[in-house]
Amino acid sequence: MEHAAVAQHAVESGTKIQDLAWAILILPLVMAFGTAVLTPKNRTISAAFNISGVVVAFLLSFTLFCVYGGQSVDATPFHWLPVAGLDAEMGLHLDALSTLMLMVVTGVGSLVMIYSIGYMHEDRSYTRFFSTLSLFVFSMLGIVLANNLLMLFVFWELVGVSSYLLIGFWYEKPSAGDASKKAFLTNRIGDFGFMLGILAIWSLAGTLDIADLKAKFVANPALLGPWAGLAGLLIFMGAMGKSAQFPLHVWLPDAMEGPTPVSALIHAATMVAAGVYMLCRVFFLYTATPGWPAALGFLDGISAASIISCIGGFTALFAAVIAVQQDDIKRILAYSTLSQLGLMVMAVGLGAKTGDASASMYHLVTHAGFKAMLFLGAGSVIHACHHEQDIWKMGGLRSKMPKTFWTFALGTAALAGLPPFSGFYSKDEILAVALEANPIFFGVGVLVTVLTTFYMSRLVLVAFFGKPRGEGADHAHESPSSMTLPLLVLAVPSAFIAWLPLGEFLSGHFKPGHATHGGDILFGPFNHNPIAAVFGLGAVLFGFSLAYSLYGKAPAQDPLSAKLGLLSQAMRNRFYIDEIYDGIVVPLHNLLSQIADAIDRWLIAGIAVRGLSGVVEIAGRALRLVQTGSIQTYAFLFTAGVLLIVLLALK
Amino acid sequence: MDSLTSVILTPVFTAVLLLLIPGNFRVVLRLAAILGSACTAWTAVSFFSRFHAGQEGLQFESLIPWVTVGPLNLAYHVGADGLNIGLILVTGLVGFAAVLVSWNIERHVKLFYVLLMSMIAGAMGAFASLDLFFFYFFNELALVPTFIMIGVWGRGEDRNWAAFKITLYLTLGALTALVGLIAFYVAAGANSLDVIVLKAHLAAHPLSVSAQTWIFPLVVFGFATLVGLFPFHSWAPIGYAAAPTATAMMHAGILKKAGLYAILRMAVPLMPDGAHRWLPVVAVLAVGNLLHCAWVALRQKDMNLLIGNSSLAHMGFAFLGIASLTVIGITGTVLVMVAHALLAGLSFALSGYLETQTGTVDMTRMGGLLRKMPFYGSALVMGFMASCGLPGFANFAGEATVLFGSWKSLPWLVIIAAWSGLIIGAVAMLRALRAVLQGPEKPEFSRVADLGYWRRLPFVMLLSAMVLFGVAPGILTSRIEPAAKAVLSAHLTPSQAHQAPAVPAAPAASASGHSGH
Repeated sequence: MEHAAVAQHAVESGTKIQDLAWAILILPLVMAFGTAVLTPKNRTISAAFNISGVVVAFLLSFTLFCVYGGQSVDATPFHWLPVAGLDAEMGLHLDALSTLMLMVVTGVGSLVMIYSIGYMHEDRSYTRFFSTLSLFVFSMLGIVLANNLLMLFVFWELVGVSSYLLIGFWYEKPSAGDASKKAFLTNRIGDFGFMLGILAIWSLAGTLDIADLKAKFVANPALLGPWAGLAGLLIFMGAMGKSAQFPLHVWLPDAMEGPTPVSALIHAATMVAAGVYMLCRVFFLYTATPGWPAALGFLDGISAASIISCIGGFTALFAAVIAVQQDDIKRILAYSTLSQLGLMVMAVGLGAKTGDASASMYHLVTHAGFKAMLFLGAGSVIHACHHEQDIWKMGGLRSKMPKTFWTFALGTAALAGLPPFSGFYSKDEILAVALEANPIFFGVGVLVTVLTTFYMSRLVLVAFFGKPRGEGADHAHESPSSMTLPLLVLAVPSAFIAWLPLGEFLSGHFKPGHATHGGDILFGPFNHNPIAAVFGLGAVLFGFSLAYSLYGKAPAQDPLSAKLGLLSQAMRNRFYIDEIYDGIVVPLHNLLSQIADAIDRWLIAGIAVRGLSGVVEIAGRALRLVQTGSIQTYAFLFTAGVLLIVLLALK
Repeated sequence: MDSLTSVILTPVFTAVLLLLIPGNFRVVLRLAAILGSACTAWTAVSFFSRFHAGQEGLQFESLIPWVTVGPLNLAYHVGADGLNIGLILVTGLVGFAAVLVSWNIERHVKLFYVLLMSMIAGAMGAFASLDLFFFYFFNELALVPTFIMIGVWGRGEDRNWAAFKITLYLTLGALTALVGLIAFYVAAGANSLDVIVLKAHLAAHPLSVSAQTWIFPLVVFGFATLVGLFPFHSWAPIGYAAAPTATAMMHAGILKKAGLYAILRMAVPLMPDGAHRWLPVVAVLAVGNLLHCAWVALRQKDMNLLIGNSSLAHMGFAFLGIASLTVIGITGTVLVMVAHALLAGLSFALSGYLETQTGTVDMTRMGGLLRKMPFYGSALVMGFMASCGLPGFANFAGEATVLFGSWKSLPWLVIIAAWSGLIIGAVAMLRALRAVLQGPEKPEFSRVADLGYWRRLPFVMLLSAMVLFGVAPGILTSRIEPAAKAVLSAHLTPSQAHQAPAVPAAPAASASGHSGH
C-alpha cells in the first residue's frame, strides 16, 4: 500500500512526470501517420523520423524507469466513452511490469528499425514499412500501459491489425496474403473470448479498471463467485490468440511470411509476449477463489490456472517436437518461440499457487532479447544467402559471417539455457516453480530444454558449420553494419542480464516486501534450488551431445528423418493441425453460409416475395408503375393515406 | 432564430435552383449541387458543434401550427436532441459525399441531382421532425427518389426486379407503419401527432396495455422493414447492388436509419408495455441479422452484395441495443446508427469507384490492386477493418457499447453478436481484401488508376469522421445519453422497474435455441 501512498503524493504535489507516458505512447503514432501522409516518397526522411520516434520513446521510457523504479503511478486519464454505468477511460498505468515492458518494446523496436535500414533497403515500399512498424509500436505500448480492460482490448485489436498489415507486407505473394488473413482471424477467435471475459468481469465486479479490480479481489477473493473460472478462461482465450497457444497456435509459423525484422519484433519479442504480459497484469484473477457454474460442475476442484498451465505445458512440448524436423530457418525459430511462450504461460498458471508470476515475466524479458537477436541473425543469414531460408542449402557460414555467427551462437546458448547467459536464469526460475508445484510440469520443462538445445544446435551445426550446400551460401558475405550493429547491441543483455537482479525486481511486484533469495546472482540458481539448476544444465548438455552426434559431421541430409520415419512426416506436417482446421472448421462455416444464402435466395426471396406478389397482384401492378418513374401512383397512395387520417380524425 | 429549419431548407433551395438551370449545363448543375450539399453539410456540422452536450430537452426548436381540422392538429415542429443531432450531422456529410462521387453521371444530370437533393432534404426533415405526420411525409420524400433512381440510373440486369422488390417491401413496410400510426393516433386521443404533446398526454393518460400490445408491432415491424430486420431484409442487398452509387450511399447510410429513429423516437418511449411485450421478439429476429445475414455476406462475390449483407448484420447490433432497454444499450444503438451511416456511405462509394476502374464488381476477378491504387487500397482496408469492428473507428465504439448495455439482460444475444461482429464479419471482410488488393497484379487491370487528389475528399471526409468518433466517442455519447434516458423515462417508473429484467430474460433462453439454425 505504500506504493499507493507514493502515487497519491505524486498526484497531490502536482508532479506530472508520469504524463511523459502519454508522450511515449503518442510519439510513434505521430511519426507513423506523419511519414505515411507527408513523406511517402522520401525514404531517408521517413526512416529517420520513424526511428527517432521510437528511440526517443525508449529514452523517455528509461527516464520513467529511473524515476519510478517499481512504483505504481497513474498518468492523467481521459474519459473515452462516458456513459453512466460504463465510464470507459483511457488511462496509463506505470509499475514494475509496465516500465520494464516499455523498455523492452521500445528498445527492441529501435534496434529492429535500425536493422531494417539495411535489410529493407531494396524494397520500394520503404515508408510503408517504417510507418506500419511505428503503428505497431504505438499499439503495443498501448497494451503495455493500459490501465483498464477495455483499453487493453482496444490496443489488443490494434496490435492485431498492425500484425496483419506487416505479415501481408509483401501482399503480392499469395502466401503472404493468406498468412496475414489467417493470423488476424485466428487472433479474432481468441479476442471473441477476451471480449466476453471483459463483459463478464465488468458485470460482476462493476469496474473495468485493473487497479480497482485488483483492490476488489484483495478485499474479496470470491468476488466472481461461480464465474471465476469461466471469466479467467475467457480472458485467457485472448492470450491464447496473441501468444499462439495450442490450439490457436497455427497462425504464428505462417506469420513468418512477413519481412524478417517484423518476425523479430512482433512475432518473437513483443506481440506474442502480449498474451503473457496480459496474464501477469490480471494475475489476481487466477489467484482468486476458483468457482464454476452448476453446468460446469465437473470442473470443481480444478482452477482456471491449472488449465492454463496444462495448455502452456502442452504447447511448449508440442511446438518443440515440431521444431526438431523443420528445415526453414525462420520456421525453426517460430516453433521455438511457440515453445518458449508455452513455458511462460505454464509458469503463469503454476505461479498462481504461490501468487508470484515473476518467473514468467522474467523469461519474457530475456526471451525478447535473445529471440529478437536470433531472428535478426536469421535475417542476416537470409539476406546474405539471397533469400534462401532452407538450412540444408546453407553451411559454412561461420567463417563468412563472423559477427552474425557469434551473435547467433550466443543467442542459441541463451535460448538453450547455458549459464551464464540470460536464458539459463529465467528458465531456471520456471523450472524451480514447476518443481515446487508439480513434478510433471518439471519433467515437461526439462524435456523442452533438451529438445530446444537439440533443434537449436542442429540449426547452428547445419547452417554455420561444414561446407556450403547451395549457391547462396557459397557467395554469402557479412551483412552491412546497420544490420550487425543491432545484433551486437542485443548480445549485451543476452550475455549480461544475469548480473542484474531482474528476477527479484519482478518478484517484488507480485509480492511486495517479500524477501527473496538474495546473494550471488550468477551462481544463485545452484544455491537456492540445486535440483532445478542441475537438471536444467544437464538437459542442455544432453541435448547438445545428441545434436552433435547426428549433425557434427556435417551430413548432406537430415539423418534423423529416416530414423523417425512416419513420426518425422507428422512433425514436418505440424501434426496435421492446419489440415484438420481446413478440413473441418472452414467447411463448416462455408456450409452454414451456403445454407443461409440458399434461404435468402429461394425461401425468402423466391417463395415469400413471389408468392406475396401473386397475392397482391393488383398492388404489385400499381407499384410497378413507380419504377418507370411515374411518381403519381405513389403520390396517390400517400394522399390516400393522409385522407384516411383526416377522415378517421373527423369521425 | 436558430432553428433546424435551415438544414432542411438548404437542400430544398438547392433542388429548386437546380430546376431553374437548363438541363444541358452539366458542369453548372454539378457545381451547384456540390455547393448546395456542401452548404447543407456545413449547416449540419455547425448545428452539431453548437449543440449543448449533456443537456436534456430540445435545442434549435421551432414550432409552426399548420393545419387544424376539427380535432386534428398538425404542426411543423422541429428540434434536436441526442437522438437526432448525430444523424443530422451524418446526413449532411454522407449527402455531400454522395454528390461528390456522382460526377460521372451522364444521363439526365439535372433530374439526378434534383432527386439526390430531395433525398437529402427528406432525410434531414425526417430526422428533424417531431410531428409524426411530417416525419412520415419527409421519409417518403426521401424514399420515392430511391425507386426512381434505381429504375433510371440503376446497374446490372436485375435492376427492374430489384426496383420492384425494394418498392414492394418498403411500401408495405411504410404502409404497415402508417396503419400503426393512425391506430396510435386514434387510441392516444391527444388530437395530435406531435411526440412532445403525445408524451405529455400519455404520461397522464397511458395507453391501455392491450392497445399497446397490438399497435406496437404494427409500428415497429413496419419501420423495421425499412431497416432490414430479418426476415424482412432481402430487398436490401439486391436493391443496393442495382442502385447507382449515390443512391446506395444515401439509402444504406441514411434512410435506413429513419426506421430505427422512428422506433426510438416514438414506439419505445410512448408504448412501454408494448415494448416489453414485443422487443424480445425483435431481439430474436435480430439474431437473424447477426448470424444469417453475416453468413450470407460470407458467400458473396459481388462487392455490393457483400457490403449490403454485412450492413444488414450491423443492423442486428442496432436492434440488440434497443431491445436491451438500457441507457447504455440505446446510447450504443444511436452510436451504431451514426457510425454505420458513415461506414455504409464510405463502403458504397468505394465499391462504386472500383467499378468505374475495373468495370466489374466481381471480387474473384480482381487481385493485386493495391500496387496501382495505394490511396484507394488504404481507404478500403480502413473501411473494411472498421466494418469488422476495429477499435479506432466509431463502429467499434458503438458496437462495444451495445454489447456492454445488453450483456446483463440478453447475454446469449451478446455472445452471438460478438461472434458475428468479431469473427464472421472479419472473415468476410478479410476474404474480400485478400481477393481485391492482395495477390499478384493482373494484366487485365493494368489501366486502373488511383483516386485523383480532389476525388479523395469524400473518402477522407468520411474516414476522418469515423476516426474522430472512434477516438473520441464521448463527443457523441455526451450528446446522446440524456436523450437515451428520456427514451426510457416511461420504462423506469417503479411499477415497471421490477418486471423489466424479468421479461428480456425470455429471449435470451429462446435465442440459444435459435442460434443453431
